[in-house]
Amino acid sequence: MAAVSGWWDDFFWGSLVVVELFFVALIMTVLFGLIGAGAKLSNSRVAKSIASGYTIVFRGTPEILVLLLFYFGSAIILTAIAQIFDPEIKFVDFPPFWAGSFAIALIIGSYATETFRGAFLGVDPGQIEAARALGLSNLQTFIYVRIPAMWRLALPPFGNHMLSLVKDTALVAIIGLEETLFVAEQAIAYTAKPFTMYIVVGAIYLGFSTIITLTVMGLERYANRHLEVWR
Amino acid sequence: MSFDIELILDSIPKMLVGIGLTFELLFLSLALGTALGIFLLILRISGRWYLAAPTMVYIYIFRGTPILVQIFIIYYGLPQLEFVRDSIFWPILKEPFGCAIVALSLNTGAYLSEIFRGGVLGVDRGLTEAAAALGISVRQRFIYITSPIAIRLCLPAYSNDVVSLMKSTALASTITLLDMMGIARTIVAETYAPYEVFISVMVIYLVITWAIQRTFAWIEKRMSRHVRREA
Repeated sequence: MAAVSGWWDDFFWGSLVVVELFFVALIMTVLFGLIGAGAKLSNSRVAKSIASGYTIVFRGTPEILVLLLFYFGSAIILTAIAQIFDPEIKFVDFPPFWAGSFAIALIIGSYATETFRGAFLGVDPGQIEAARALGLSNLQTFIYVRIPAMWRLALPPFGNHMLSLVKDTALVAIIGLEETLFVAEQAIAYTAKPFTMYIVVGAIYLGFSTIITLTVMGLERYANRHLEVWR
Repeated sequence: MSFDIELILDSIPKMLVGIGLTFELLFLSLALGTALGIFLLILRISGRWYLAAPTMVYIYIFRGTPILVQIFIIYYGLPQLEFVRDSIFWPILKEPFGCAIVALSLNTGAYLSEIFRGGVLGVDRGLTEAAAALGISVRQRFIYITSPIAIRLCLPAYSNDVVSLMKSTALASTITLLDMMGIARTIVAETYAPYEVFISVMVIYLVITWAIQRTFAWIEKRMSRHVRREA
């Protein structure tokens, strides 16, 4: 472990990048999931088929492929646009952080789409009818009735999606983001201790997974607090 | 930017050369992972804490860390340790193919044992109690009563895991293996045409996912044909 001593601060900054990536991608994931679920539950045939195309493609292809396609694909478009203004420019890329978080959010968002869809369908129709009868508008019904009821059903599978999300952030090192795996590679080039360094990365991720698992457990207890037997 | 049809027609046969390696990775690690999953399951439900506790730690570690990090630890990390280089496993662990198989099997085994456990827990207790009352031994109860029902119960989850294992095989390209993903990345590095190449390989992966899902849907239908009522 002595070899790691000079690298703790780098690993710390790398972990911070993972945390940032996680939260940015998480927000986008929830967004994509809600949009996807909304489209799948809508009456529009076009929206439905776009949404099912989305879930089929992003759940059926390797994560690394989506990531590389987004990173290099966006780089080609950006370079082409930049060359219109200045033909000297050889390569412009989308920042790996944004390409990575967008790609990961699209992937996990496709899983979230199915989860949210199922959860919305699981809400008792009687509750929605009751909200209507009380004169709540569509938006109010959505915010005060549907979302809280659906959230309870979606939380356990969504916890698993969050675990996949944090683990997928490791892939972004492949396109050159300076997160923990990238730090480990630099440290290995310097110390020639690959086992030690990668174990540190594994331990960091295990820590993140543990935090997420505990948080989801807490959230589940909070979401179901009214169902607990009063003691 | 233009879409180069010729390049697509040219690169698809090249990438299909790698499909053999993708399937080898998939089937070998699926077989080994299933065996490992069953082994872990038996330890887990043995009712002896000194067998169950290490299994739970194993599952926690392998499900809590990214598969990419696990692959890197095994491929780049283990050669740092001298006793690994002297061990009988060295001929396997010095090859990237062997490392990919080991990493994928260890990883999927952890997930599968949880899936199997879900199936076993879903078996109606009355059945095993009835078998016990009939004087059937523990081992025979597990083989003839619990297993057939548990297999049917966990088949949908198993099929999902096969798909995610198939997606994980693409990560073997990060340790120099030339599976479909590896070949695609090589072609992109040569031609710098990410859209054409990556989208073509995406389609191939989608077809494989579809084939896996159809196969399992058919097996499921066959295995539950005694449950279905004649119309």
